[in-house]
Amino acid sequence: MGGVAENEMSATPNAERPTPNAELRTAGSIPDFKGRTSKILWRTVDLVVAGIFIYAGAIKALDPVQFASDIDNYKILPWPISVALAFYLPWLEIFCGLALVFRRLYRGALSILTALVVIFLVATIAAKVRGLDITCGCFGHASQNWSFPTHLALDLALLAALSALCYCSTAKPPENA
Amino acid sequence: MRSSLVRQILILAVLALVPAVGEAIYFRHKISWRSAILPSEMVTVDQARAWGENVIWVDARPDEEFARDHIPAALSLNEDRWNELLPQFLAAWSPGKKIVVYCSSLGCNASREVARRLRREAQLPDVFVLEGGWEGWLKTR
Repeated sequence: MGGVAENEMSATPNAERPTPNAELRTAGSIPDFKGRTSKILWRTVDLVVAGIFIYAGAIKALDPVQFASDIDNYKILPWPISVALAFYLPWLEIFCGLALVFRRLYRGALSILTALVVIFLVATIAAKVRGLDITCGCFGHASQNWSFPTHLALDLALLAALSALCYCSTAKPPENA
Repeated sequence: MRSSLVRQILILAVLALVPAVGEAIYFRHKISWRSAILPSEMVTVDQARAWGENVIWVDARPDEEFARDHIPAALSLNEDRWNELLPQFLAAWSPGKKIVVYCSSLGCNASREVARRLRREAQLPDVFVLEGGWEGWLKTR
């Protein structure tokens, strides 16, 4: 009985003709591959940026006294505000990093991190212009001996990555955002 | 879309506030909100003078300023030549001596940084920062 049915079905004209959807699937295989590759690429950028901010935040959260001193070295803010920021900013970086990893509050995290990097870039350049010899404190002791060009290069790379992620998220927001 | 972005930013900002407040409470005795240096780590010129021979004066200013003038018997130890000057300083140090670090004025950071590194890296006790720095010393000379 089943054999007859199969024979009948294979004999129908529709069985030979691919459906429009199947055509689309076949034709879309290369763009699908490209889409998947770019998805993996952007996810990697996401995770790298998130990792950098989580690491930087954790190191500073462990030593807020040193970070307060690093902020104070910029000679922009009064000491009490430096202390408040030393307690607050590391956790903001950590939460934003986690938001990028888990893709929750995604666009909010990207906006905050972009703003932080821009503010930090401006502060670093301003400090350099004013002739202040400072350690940025961005990665605790690890960054203590970094030169100004190294700071600048890392900040610009982070800014470029964040801007690209912002652009992508605006073009196609993640499902969970 | 814009309101959702603002909402996300606000949620993250508030989330970060919670551990930050906890940490501020935890570190309340390790950092002063009024001054970059804990009051217990500061010393006035008069106090330091009263310690007499029991003090090692440390000049954290750059070499040129130290060469121009400095507190009598002070040793130069600045961050520019830290690795070179630290062994010389350690050779002059002996247990029980109090270390008083100074830089140019009240607003300078060098003394604070040198004092911090002496405590952390060299593990030395009794390290103080001179209130008013070199300018403070000149006023009371």
